[in-house]
Amino acid sequence: MSSKPYILLVEDNPDDVELTRRAFAKNHIANEVVVLTDGAQALEFLFDADRHGRSLPQVILLDLKLPKISGLEVLERIRANDATCLIPTVILTSSKQDEDLLAGYRLGVNSYVRKPVDFNEFVEAVRQVGLYWLVLNEAPPAAATGGMS
Amino acid sequence: MADDSVLRPDLALVLERITDGFFALDAQWRISYMNAEARKLLHAREDVLGVYWLDAFPKARGRLFEREYTRAMRDQRPVQFVEYSQTANRWFEVKAYPSLDGLSVYFRDVTARIEAQQEVERTARRQQALIDFGRTALSGGHLDALLSDAVDLVREALDASVIEVYDYEPQNACFALRYAAGWATGAAMEREFPALEHLRHAVESGEPFVSSDIRIESRARSLAPLAALGVLSCICVPIGSAREPLGAIVAFHPKPRTVSAVDVRFVEALAQTIAEAARTSESNRRIAQVLESIRDAFVAVGRDERITYVNARMAAFWGGEPVDFIGRPLAHFTEKFEDGGYGAARFRESLREDRPLTFEMPFRERWFEVRLYPYSDGVAAYVRDITRRKNEQQRMIALNVELERRVAERTKQLELANKELESFSYSVSHDLRAPLRAIDGFSQALVEDYAEALGDGGRGYLDRVRKAAQRMADLIDALLGLAKVARASIEMRPLDVTEIVREVAADLHDGDPCRDVEIEIETGMRASGEPGLVHAVFANLMGNAWKFTRLAERPKIRVGRTPEGEFFVADNGAGFDMAYSNKLFGAFQRLHAADDYEGTGIGLATVARIVHRHGGSVRADGAVGSGATFYFTLPAAKERVGLDEQQTVHPAG
Repeated sequence: MSSKPYILLVEDNPDDVELTRRAFAKNHIANEVVVLTDGAQALEFLFDADRHGRSLPQVILLDLKLPKISGLEVLERIRANDATCLIPTVILTSSKQDEDLLAGYRLGVNSYVRKPVDFNEFVEAVRQVGLYWLVLNEAPPAAATGGMS
Repeated sequence: MADDSVLRPDLALVLERITDGFFALDAQWRISYMNAEARKLLHAREDVLGVYWLDAFPKARGRLFEREYTRAMRDQRPVQFVEYSQTANRWFEVKAYPSLDGLSVYFRDVTARIEAQQEVERTARRQQALIDFGRTALSGGHLDALLSDAVDLVREALDASVIEVYDYEPQNACFALRYAAGWATGAAMEREFPALEHLRHAVESGEPFVSSDIRIESRARSLAPLAALGVLSCICVPIGSAREPLGAIVAFHPKPRTVSAVDVRFVEALAQTIAEAARTSESNRRIAQVLESIRDAFVAVGRDERITYVNARMAAFWGGEPVDFIGRPLAHFTEKFEDGGYGAARFRESLREDRPLTFEMPFRERWFEVRLYPYSDGVAAYVRDITRRKNEQQRMIALNVELERRVAERTKQLELANKELESFSYSVSHDLRAPLRAIDGFSQALVEDYAEALGDGGRGYLDRVRKAAQRMADLIDALLGLAKVARASIEMRPLDVTEIVREVAADLHDGDPCRDVEIEIETGMRASGEPGLVHAVFANLMGNAWKFTRLAERPKIRVGRTPEGEFFVADNGAGFDMAYSNKLFGAFQRLHAADDYEGTGIGLATVARIVHRHGGSVRADGAVGSGATFYFTLPAAKERVGLDEQQTVHPAG
């Protein structure tokens, strides 16, 4: 399997996908970004043993308002599954509603980041998320996640 | 025969000595011997011997003496009897022994014994009569019937020829003849009542007045003329006491005589019973008057469950006169109640447990309240028509049910509205910001990637696009905040308001360190409220003051309380025109151009909503160029209770 670390972006809004890619590029984050546009696709991808020859993502950026299966449910299912439960997952969303924050942390999200409207601020937020989860943060040992090699 | 008539001397001696009377008759009923005692008792003549006995004692003819002696001789068997001798005016006990040649008769005077016996019997009869009379009086019969009984008793006991009963009328101290018996027809009518001195004596002293001969009665001259009507002695007994005289009873006798103490006491006893009956009758009459006058229906039932009294109102309800119902069984009426025996059972319960009871029952499409009061002889029931009250009650109950239904319905609607508002807020929060981000992001991308093609003008427009997008994002956040205040449930807590104000002041200074604004804070301010929301109130008001004093020469903000207890935030900034003060607290209302002072126009709306949700009020005071003051109230500090339930349950309201 390919061991090249990549980012999984679960986001249904193509504008946000484009802006996020642009923000990564501006921050010189060269990791591949795999984009899935609804919760069902995301779960199918993550729970698929083959995964088109890929390993598990290094970090998941998860929108909350997703078609078919909501971001919170995706999070819950990831955390309930032995193979995926340790993947660092960041909620990246427009909402800063209290109930969303609470639910996210209850379900074991690693970070909750609100997408700022101001693109410069957005770029800065993406920079920090990328820097932290892709560079600073030590990922859990591969054996524990049952698939990363 | 002559030989037979002479007794042997020794025998004669014996017969003379015995204390009994003795005489002997020969076969021809002639007296052959009579001892001294017999001669004395019978007042016999000296020459009675040899005289036919009925010639010697003619008054014995036809009486027991003759009948019994004849029977003794006929049957030749001894006889014994007691008879009153009119010859001697004494009672004799007689024993007569017949033989073929005559009859021996022994007798003795038993007058004392017989009279004593008769006295005992008469006393017993009178006592029985008094007891019967008292019982009649107690049974509550009519007073006139009772008086009639009394008159018969007096006449019989005293052997009186005339009886009168008078009423005494205290208003004019006059007597009125109520009852008279024994006068020759019309005699009573001719008499003059005011001059009845004998009655006055008795009534005024409270003691019987006795005159043994009215012809020579010096105490009551009014009596003497009555002698012409055939009466010569009288007894006059008062009814009632000297203090409260009710009348008198008078008995006349055709002969002069002294009435015995026993007789006087007998009449007195009757008079006392009559007085009690009269008083009872009077008090019953008064009670009846009361019971007739009360507006409730009244019925009394005896222990035998028969009706003993109904007032006119009750009788009218049952369709009749009171007399139609007295004595009839209660069941006769209760069985019409159609209450499954409930009413009758309550009557019995009250009687059995000797305890007052109240119950309500429907009857003939009306409602009645029945109050039962047990007493020694039965149960008294007051019945009141409560149809109006009951209808009112039921109307109230129906109204309440309807009201509760409406409240429940409204609550449900509010809950639904609240849910919709929540999902609306959620949707706004998630969906409205994404396009703004795209507008801003791609504007920036254009500036970065196509700067030359755009030129200065193009870049300037894109800058405006981006500012507008940012501003809209702020508005959305402010709106969401306002919605949050509406939905939040408020838990009252004691607050150190001065401390909150200090925190807000510190934040303002920290956020804008370039400005020098004097903030004066009153110490010791306290209140009750939700800490976060009260903080937001001061943050908004003081933030506004901070903002609008930007152009002031020496900017100053004062926070404190009025003497009435209102909190205020005052500044010496731009102020506002009072003409628009009613627009201050509406959402998105601004009194200043956006270019002059930044802001979303949501702040004061949020303040007003928070204050209202605390049960307080808010107002503003100001003038253009001379600053603004905002006043608001919060619950006092000692009140630790939460807001009422409705506000907590229906935050959207």
